[in-house]
Amino acid sequence: MKKLIDYIKRFPMIVILIIILLFFTPLAVFSPGENRNRGVVTAIGLDFVDNEYEVSLLTFIPTANQTYKQKNSVISGKGKSVVDAISKASVAMGRDVGLAHAKTTVVSESMLAEDVAESLSLLAHIASLPENTVFVCTNTSAKEMLQNSQNLVDELGLQLEQIISYNANELYVTDTSLEAFYKGYYSFLKSSLIGYIPLVDSEDTNTDSSVSSSQNTDTSQQEVQGDSSPQGGAQSSQSKKKILNEGEAVLLKSGKMVEKLSTYQLSGINLLNPKDLNQLIKINDVDLNGSIMDLTYRLKDKKVLTTTKFENGYPVFYAKLILSVELVETEGADENTKSNTEYSEITPEIANKIEEQINKKYVTAVNLLRKNGTDVIGVTSKFFRNNRKDYKKFIENHDTPDNFIKYVTFKLTTVVQPD
Amino acid sequence: MKNTQISLRQCGIIIAMCIFANKILLMPSLMFENSKSDSIFVLIFLFALDFIALPIFLRLKKHYPTERLYDILKDKIGVFVTKLIFILLIVFFFFKCLLVFSVTYVYFKNQIYHDEFIFLAFISFLPVISHAAIVGIRAFSRTMELFFFFVIAGFIVCLCISLFTPISMPYFFTTTAKDFFTSTYNHIFSFGDFAFLFLVIDRIKISDGEEKSIYKYAFFSMLLVLILYILFFAKYQITAFMHNNALADMLVFSVQFNAIGRLDIIAMITIMLMTVFQMEIFSFAFCECFQSIFPLLNRAYAIVFFDILFCVLYYVFVGKYENVVSSVVSWLPVLGMIVSYLLPILFWIISYQKRRGKIEKTD
Amino acid sequence: MPFFDVKQKIEELKSALNNSVDFSSRYFEKNGQEIGMVFLKSITDQALFSEALYLPLQTYEKPLDMEILRNDIIKGTDVKIIDDNEMVQEILDGKIVFFTNFSDEILAIDFLKFPTRVPSEPPTSPVIQGPREGFVEDLQTNITLLRRRIKSPDFTIETLRVGSVTQTKVCVGYIKGISNKKVVRKIIKRLKEIEVDGILDSYNIVSFLQDKPNSLFRQIGNSEKPDVVVSKLLEGKACIIVDGSPIVLTIPFIFLEDIQNSNDYYTNHHYSSFVRVIRLFGLMISLIAPGFYLALQIYHYNILPLNFLITIADTTQGLPFTPFLEILFIFLLFQILYEVSLRLPSYLGLATSVVGALILGDTGVKAGLISPPGVIIVALSKIALYTIPEEASQVTVLQLLFIIFGGSLGLVGIISGLVYLANYLNTIDSYGTPYLAPYSPRIQNDLQDAIFSKPLVQIKTRPKSFNPEKEKIK
Repeated sequence: MKKLIDYIKRFPMIVILIIILLFFTPLAVFSPGENRNRGVVTAIGLDFVDNEYEVSLLTFIPTANQTYKQKNSVISGKGKSVVDAISKASVAMGRDVGLAHAKTTVVSESMLAEDVAESLSLLAHIASLPENTVFVCTNTSAKEMLQNSQNLVDELGLQLEQIISYNANELYVTDTSLEAFYKGYYSFLKSSLIGYIPLVDSEDTNTDSSVSSSQNTDTSQQEVQGDSSPQGGAQSSQSKKKILNEGEAVLLKSGKMVEKLSTYQLSGINLLNPKDLNQLIKINDVDLNGSIMDLTYRLKDKKVLTTTKFENGYPVFYAKLILSVELVETEGADENTKSNTEYSEITPEIANKIEEQINKKYVTAVNLLRKNGTDVIGVTSKFFRNNRKDYKKFIENHDTPDNFIKYVTFKLTTVVQPD
Repeated sequence: MKNTQISLRQCGIIIAMCIFANKILLMPSLMFENSKSDSIFVLIFLFALDFIALPIFLRLKKHYPTERLYDILKDKIGVFVTKLIFILLIVFFFFKCLLVFSVTYVYFKNQIYHDEFIFLAFISFLPVISHAAIVGIRAFSRTMELFFFFVIAGFIVCLCISLFTPISMPYFFTTTAKDFFTSTYNHIFSFGDFAFLFLVIDRIKISDGEEKSIYKYAFFSMLLVLILYILFFAKYQITAFMHNNALADMLVFSVQFNAIGRLDIIAMITIMLMTVFQMEIFSFAFCECFQSIFPLLNRAYAIVFFDILFCVLYYVFVGKYENVVSSVVSWLPVLGMIVSYLLPILFWIISYQKRRGKIEKTD
Repeated sequence: MPFFDVKQKIEELKSALNNSVDFSSRYFEKNGQEIGMVFLKSITDQALFSEALYLPLQTYEKPLDMEILRNDIIKGTDVKIIDDNEMVQEILDGKIVFFTNFSDEILAIDFLKFPTRVPSEPPTSPVIQGPREGFVEDLQTNITLLRRRIKSPDFTIETLRVGSVTQTKVCVGYIKGISNKKVVRKIIKRLKEIEVDGILDSYNIVSFLQDKPNSLFRQIGNSEKPDVVVSKLLEGKACIIVDGSPIVLTIPFIFLEDIQNSNDYYTNHHYSSFVRVIRLFGLMISLIAPGFYLALQIYHYNILPLNFLITIADTTQGLPFTPFLEILFIFLLFQILYEVSLRLPSYLGLATSVVGALILGDTGVKAGLISPPGVIIVALSKIALYTIPEEASQVTVLQLLFIIFGGSLGLVGIISGLVYLANYLNTIDSYGTPYLAPYSPRIQNDLQDAIFSKPLVQIKTRPKSFNPEKEKIK
């Protein structure tokens, strides 16, 4: 015994090694490894169909090949709760569900009829769904969305989150991630804004898979079209539907959908976002040296100045936009005038028209927010910061903080600076 | 005696490690539940209280340059009270170690180990810290010195990367004074790290005029923790309560970083290193106290006792994540207050008393 | 009364040397003066003997005495007066023992000759630029090589004999006033305490000199190049030269010395700093890469970025081995190939590398027995090992340990293992010098030539880690 203790004292490392070798190495030697035990989910979809939750998982299936292409399939499970559904999906998959690599979370509109945060936080806790996944809503069903994206991933290596190209500058406050949603949801404003990607029927239904795949690559490159939003399209050969990203968004209050925003409305909301320069302003019938033209301007720079005040006991939100714009497109001009750089000059008439457009957009957006009591632009927090006393008094006498925006009067001044 | 001395730089690194202990993973989100973003003031307040112990330590060290704490106390307040104090210290360091382990365990279990990980954790950590406790403060403080650069670099990289995503000012002054003090009380046990310094007062080699650098290390590590808190609250704002692993979660905020891959491996390795070092320090402190109380027993017995107690208490007392939280807020703060604040005051008084000539050494 | 009965003495010596076949003696008598000479012809230069001793002796007409013998007759070689009991040893050392019936003096005359190698570039440490000389097996030549570079009276060499049978000469060299006296004394004390039959190579005495003889890590430096040894002597170390070994040991030793290379001092210091970082990086890769890969595969699939995961999952899908066995198998395969290629003659080595690399590796992957990432990881770690060839043997053992740690305990196991390793290395004090100095503990002064180095002109002090007597370089 004494010898043994001496030995342990002299070579503790060897003893520890023996313990590890005895107890852990056999387990490890015969363990096939996590990557063979777990199904790696790259996107997750949540639906609410016939009073049951349906969880769909876009899962990467390892195949013994040397091409290193991602082979995927959509596996889904239904259940009374999200957890129930995911465990059924896990059974169907034959592996444990690993959500660590999930990069997209898609919910259908039906999910957003009820508070979606509960289901999501269950997922986060039980299956450790990362909070930095892209979080979007779709029109029909999330499962269909994933099925449509599956072929894109398989054939083109194009991930779903690459098609959904929202970023911090295009959505107000922050990007359309789960974390951003939670941030809005748990704050006293209870409102959040997430991206909306509809699945639309493809017009061109006769193309075979290879052609439609190659078309996808073309259309998925963003074009600036019509309004100010980016548009990406991608089409699946299987169900012949198109994943269309027109830059729409959904307004949520307390985890429920209250309004679908068109790109026009969204860009109105984004007016106060100092980072967002992705706005095109089209003004019609401008009389320039006798020729009537339509001009399209792009924002070059934007300064946003805001002040909050309580006037007669009611909150007033002043905003001043200082814009500098750049001419990008002219319509209705003849060949001679088209190349004339004189049009880049901002005449008072043009400035007025731009201001008019901006004001119109702003009013639409603000009315929308006030109607739903969804303060996604952070007006309430500005009052909270700047006029805390008045704000508190006002909240005590009137309503809950999340409805504060309904009482705010908005005033906008727009200044268009010459280039 | 000479062979067990550490340099002031190593001492500063040990302090830095102690300051990081327990504060950078779970605590920000726990504090947020009590005192929202005002937790930053709680942190500053507690750090300020801690900082007072440093000049007391330096004073005591000047007064008794080579004596062990046990001998000093025995000389001044008698054997019985000294042993009582050392028993308190034993409990204090033991639970600090347990807390460090629990918090890291929860983090790893959630993040990287999905199956039953507790045995793996025990077998990974306990032998290393046992070995460190046996080979002594000199060896492991050197190791810390070796890895310190990587730990600090990892920490700063975590902070810097988090700046790439949008942050906004946290809301201050949203809570009441009561919330402030509740939060202070609940988390006081995670502070008071300078108690370790008093314990190894005879091991630290301080040349004249060097004393100030110890403030430097303490100040900068506190500053780093403070910056972490500010950035954390600024980044997550209202959802801070959801993010239980502050340092690691700093890296996983945005969609953009999700696309790059798992950057949080930087945080993982930093946290692993920190955990091992912090556990080494606390287990060593445990053994020191143990040996002071039972001078006849070998150091190996102390560490075996520690290991067994650790495994048993982990199951009985902590076990689950919720229990970690509840145990922190139930009775440990009282212990924390005694060790962090009453003891330094006692030492301060002692440092003003006259020396009674050469102190007899027990060892 | 004659001092020696010469004939009888020759017989005595012959029997003392057990009638060895190479025993040789000359008896010489002139005017009643008897002279005996005894030597071993196998290690004596006989041509020189007849030319420098025997012929002059024969042609000398006057009566001889020892004074004349030493000063006039014996030319161009070492003569030393020895005691009666030293005779056998001197003969064994290649001397000619010379005794007469008219004097009690016994002379030992050095005519040592045995086949030696010419100093050439050592295969283990080639340089691109810089001195190409290397030590040889002959002690005298080695001392010459050192002495040629240090023309200082302070360069001291002390000689001892080690090995009860082989009686090997072991020299301890140091520079007085620079090397730490305590270290030199400790070395000599330890050398004297060695009880062993024979010393065949300097490596034989390493374990006697180490503070921790059981340790995996070497605590004694070695070099085959005189310029390296001299630079180490100038840093305040001591060197040990063993007769018969081209490897010279240096003490004290720190880990950093393996990361530094003599090449570094013959190129730009910026470049050498860069290369040292690469070496350190290579060391880390070779140490933990297989274990880390295994940990990722078995425990932490979720740390891997998706693209890596896809590649790894696709390639490991359908393999008959579990990840642990696969890595272990490839590891052993590489190690076997390495051993084979080392032992085989070079013309066969090519054949084994073709069989090993092409057939086993490539076909193994194609047959679906092993996965390409596994091969890459193990190969990478094996290649990276040779960024620091001196550490190859230790790191190979550690690689296997880290494979076990990583595979059994995951990432936490690897980090704990690293900390354990560092803790252990920090307990090693090689002759009062911390093993991981100057980084752990940090010695500010020594950082001027550690991983990053300053140009020589800015280095004004010797490394403090080795406790030199004089720190300032003058």
